[in-house]
Amino acid sequence: MKITANAVAGTLESSDVYVKVEPCDTLEIEIESVVYNQFADDIKASVKEVLDELGVESGRISINDKGAIDCVIQARVETAIKRAGGNK
Amino acid sequence: MDFNGFYEEFGEPFSGRKRRKLIEFLQKAELDYDEQIEYSVNLVDGDGEIVATGSLHQNVLKCIAVSEKQQGLGLSARIVTLLMNHAMEKGRDHLFLFTKPKNLLMFSDLGFYKIIQTKDVLLMENRKNGIQSYVHALSRPQQAGTVGAIVANCNPFTLGHRYLVEQAASRCDTLHLFVLSEDKSVFPAEVRYELVREGVQDLKNVFLHHSSDYLISSAVFPTYFIKDKSKAADANCELDIRIFCEFFAKELGITKRFVGSEPFCPVTNAYNQAMKRLLPDYGIELVELPRKESGETAISASLVRKWMAEGNYDGIRTIVPETTFAYLCSTQGRMIAQKLAEQEKKA
Repeated sequence: MKITANAVAGTLESSDVYVKVEPCDTLEIEIESVVYNQFADDIKASVKEVLDELGVESGRISINDKGAIDCVIQARVETAIKRAGGNK
Repeated sequence: MDFNGFYEEFGEPFSGRKRRKLIEFLQKAELDYDEQIEYSVNLVDGDGEIVATGSLHQNVLKCIAVSEKQQGLGLSARIVTLLMNHAMEKGRDHLFLFTKPKNLLMFSDLGFYKIIQTKDVLLMENRKNGIQSYVHALSRPQQAGTVGAIVANCNPFTLGHRYLVEQAASRCDTLHLFVLSEDKSVFPAEVRYELVREGVQDLKNVFLHHSSDYLISSAVFPTYFIKDKSKAADANCELDIRIFCEFFAKELGITKRFVGSEPFCPVTNAYNQAMKRLLPDYGIELVELPRKESGETAISASLVRKWMAEGNYDGIRTIVPETTFAYLCSTQGRMIAQKLAEQEKKA
């Protein structure tokens, strides 16, 4: 599956995450986080899990994390992708 | 709606009493309300007083302020989120943000990256290395030699533009020609670009580009599109010129910028004067070429538009290239002429 439209989900408030997805030829994941040094790898793994689950092959996924827990990150990513029309 | 005990108010844009209240609030934060604003968000407390605000003009976030008493609660994050979501709904994904230089860190946290700053203004965008990757991807020859540049709207492309490009191209080895991408002119951006492409394709050392959001766009040079005489003096063009120098000129090795002399438009004239002052700081020469004249009048795109409104196609034929003339006579071209005639009638 490919991301064909732009979409966002989440907020920039503390303990939340703002996810932006855009069309892109390759699959790119960009991560910014207040806890980047501690958890960048975990965040990336969480995002990848959702991408695998939904079968996303390409698109630019930008994560601006404000300290969200795992399930929040996954829910936000899933919402953004589905908003981008990626559930077909 | 409720956020931390504050109510959210939306205006597209605000008018009347609410607008006056917002202007007052911004004044306290030493900001001027921008008349071009299309969408505003306020957070309001139980007494109806504004505690935080932010606004959107096309793809530009501006006039963001939080009352002094309520700082540190993350209200600006809420405002920026709401503005970004609204912009995204409108299909605008490349966003810019105007603020004061002291707010750099705060907005960096919200996913914005610095493009450039002057003494009082900081311009940011929501793409990491956005401008760097843009200028890096511009096409250019391997052997550049002396490099010149022209930035023009070409609304539409005339023999005057053709003359300027020819003259400039003969004075350097490589000429980069940027056609404004902003869709604010009566000729659509794609049409303007196409007409220029057809009109200069025989000049081998000319490289044509879309100016994108970074040159003379509503993000970097909002007043350009107002064209109001009273505002010409304070046309806020320094940002635009510095972006041209810092990013475009450095990346492409531009040492000359060509402009046509500007007898008509006060804003363009102020812009040229500002370039004369600022470009030498970066080792770039501003070359002002006299306009080509046809008979007694200087050729200009505004003259073409005037004649289109009047239906003077014999006149137009003498001052535009054949490619442009063919477009003007097409159905699309006739529709634009009609629109111009209606505008003229209203004025």
